[in-house]
Amino acid sequence: MGLGKFLVKRTLQGLFVIWGVVTVVFLLRHLTPGNPVNTLLPPEASQEQRELFAERLGLNDPVHIQYYDYLVGVAQGDFGVSMATGRPASELILIRLPATIELAVAATVVAVVIAIPLGVISARRRHEPSDYGATIFSLVGISTPNFWLGVMLIIFVAVQFGPLPTGGRGPSFVDAMIATLTQGQFRDGGIVEWGRYILLPAITLGTYFTALLTRLTRSGMVDEIGKAYVKATRAKGLPETLVLYKHVLRNTLIPIITVLGLQLGTLIGGAVITEEVFAWPGLGRFLIHSIYQRDWVLIQGTIIVIGVGFVIVNIVVDALYVYLNPKVDLE
Amino acid sequence: MISDRIRRSVRSELHSSRLAQVGLALVVVIVLMATLAPFIVPHHPEAQQVGTGDTEDRTNLPPIGFSTEHIQTTPDGQTEIVREGSLEHPMGTNTRGQDVFSRFVYGARVSLLVGLLGAGIATVLGVPYGLAAGYFGGRTDDALMRGADVMLAFPSLVLAIALVGVFRDSGFHTTGLPDPFVYAARHDILGWVIPRSDHVASMPSSVTFPVTVTLVVALVNWVWFARVARGEAISIRQQEYVKAAKSIGASHLTILRQHVLPNSLTPIIVLATIQVAAIILLESALSYLGFSGTTLTWGQDIARGQSDQRSQWWIATMPGLGIVFAVIGVNLIGDWLRDALDPSIEGEGGV
Repeated sequence: MGLGKFLVKRTLQGLFVIWGVVTVVFLLRHLTPGNPVNTLLPPEASQEQRELFAERLGLNDPVHIQYYDYLVGVAQGDFGVSMATGRPASELILIRLPATIELAVAATVVAVVIAIPLGVISARRRHEPSDYGATIFSLVGISTPNFWLGVMLIIFVAVQFGPLPTGGRGPSFVDAMIATLTQGQFRDGGIVEWGRYILLPAITLGTYFTALLTRLTRSGMVDEIGKAYVKATRAKGLPETLVLYKHVLRNTLIPIITVLGLQLGTLIGGAVITEEVFAWPGLGRFLIHSIYQRDWVLIQGTIIVIGVGFVIVNIVVDALYVYLNPKVDLE
Repeated sequence: MISDRIRRSVRSELHSSRLAQVGLALVVVIVLMATLAPFIVPHHPEAQQVGTGDTEDRTNLPPIGFSTEHIQTTPDGQTEIVREGSLEHPMGTNTRGQDVFSRFVYGARVSLLVGLLGAGIATVLGVPYGLAAGYFGGRTDDALMRGADVMLAFPSLVLAIALVGVFRDSGFHTTGLPDPFVYAARHDILGWVIPRSDHVASMPSSVTFPVTVTLVVALVNWVWFARVARGEAISIRQQEYVKAAKSIGASHLTILRQHVLPNSLTPIIVLATIQVAAIILLESALSYLGFSGTTLTWGQDIARGQSDQRSQWWIATMPGLGIVFAVIGVNLIGDWLRDALDPSIEGEGGV
């Protein structure tokens, strides 16, 4: 099976999962006790107003009709209208998507940049102090709840040192890049300001992954260094750095990518709560506040968008996996 | 069901691994702390001491070994007030004058209960499901596991939040689990056994146990048990002894109960241990967000510490340390069991 065919197959599977997600989300709302009309209208609303409102929300239709309407809507990118504000849910949700993607990517970059060298060093100097240091760091990192880490960074870093804000988001990455490149503006609205805001949330979200990656890189490298081909590359006189980073690391990446793919849910879930800690205006914070307000249209829409994102990233990870290891059996 | 060989290898792993010893020690200390909370804590965990009239203001006291200074403006001018931490409040007090250490100790109860019960319920739901899927295979497997895969399309925290949203409108269901020590102390049962009985009697008579949250974390995590159990069942069903049992006419239920389940226990036990840690983290995240219904949990106290006043660093720091130590301890025990029970899992790269 070629890569193209494999992607088509994975996409079809992905669509099936997304259909499942939409169905579960639809059911969740219908399992929720209480009539949405009562939650949304003031208690003094008349019976007539209540009926009109229920009619408008489509609540009087039989469940299967509601389900069908909802599926068709979602397929067309229409998640319905926010119960609280009356604005289209898809619009409200999509505005917040870039902030979340930015945060997740920044956290991944932080994790990769720190973890891979740390894991390599740790594997090279097995049972030396630097190795124990890295091992303890990864154990603590995996066991620390990231929202607490965020609160600690706010209290001990942001409050003490002025330049790092305790929450909120600066300019978007794209805007910041444009301002920096076209106007030479670094601080106000530029890339430095962007970095000031994203640094602590990215560390908060990235620490778990840094710890996990360090651990995986170390054990993978230790396994790999003992193999014969490493001896051969060393024997032909290749510099050690090149041996490690070009040959050994590449073969270590395969299990790393597998585990990272499995852990994507943790990254997305972690983003939800990190956003809440730092008042980062992304999807996660939006979801939490929709729950506080019981705005089911927004809750459903946000969860579907998160589910779709999850499925897409999983497919990308699979493709990367195939690229790194051509031996992988695509069946 | 536990053979001597397994027992021996668990014991020898404990002897040789320093980390396993640390993990066991941490968990024993935390379990003892949670169980014996009424004897340990110096104050009632909910008692507030806000200075009103003739009672002394005991809010925001720093932990022992630390001091705070702030400037108070009075009609006579400004005076600098220095407050030092004392043994009476070893971890300081929060903005309501509650003792942080007492809340730290009591918070362990909720985390451990939810962690253990949540993992237990998830095991009971997931294992039979996965065993059936793997054992019967074919269509049954497809039907059962496709449904389970949809659950995995949700990040666990997002699914948990969504489920909380469902249950929220009927109210967070909590139940008070009576504290046997406090009951005994109040009713003068075994008075000669229980030390400090007046002190114990003044402690909360029950622990608020978050039923809704426990169900939610179990519903979120059962799929992992189903997947692991399924994998085991698939390999076990091809074993000779299963075929032999079938040939003498044993029913599916008997085979599942007497052959498949006992032989797949090892990875399930390891998974259950790791899941206790994962569920403690998930519960703390939910209670941080205020989706718990209890007021005495580590997560909730971190949220308060963040929102109350940021200069009182100890309010949010201490409960977080509780979570970190509990999770490290449980994770280390998980590593220990994995290394001891499953030699096929590669440890430190062989040799």
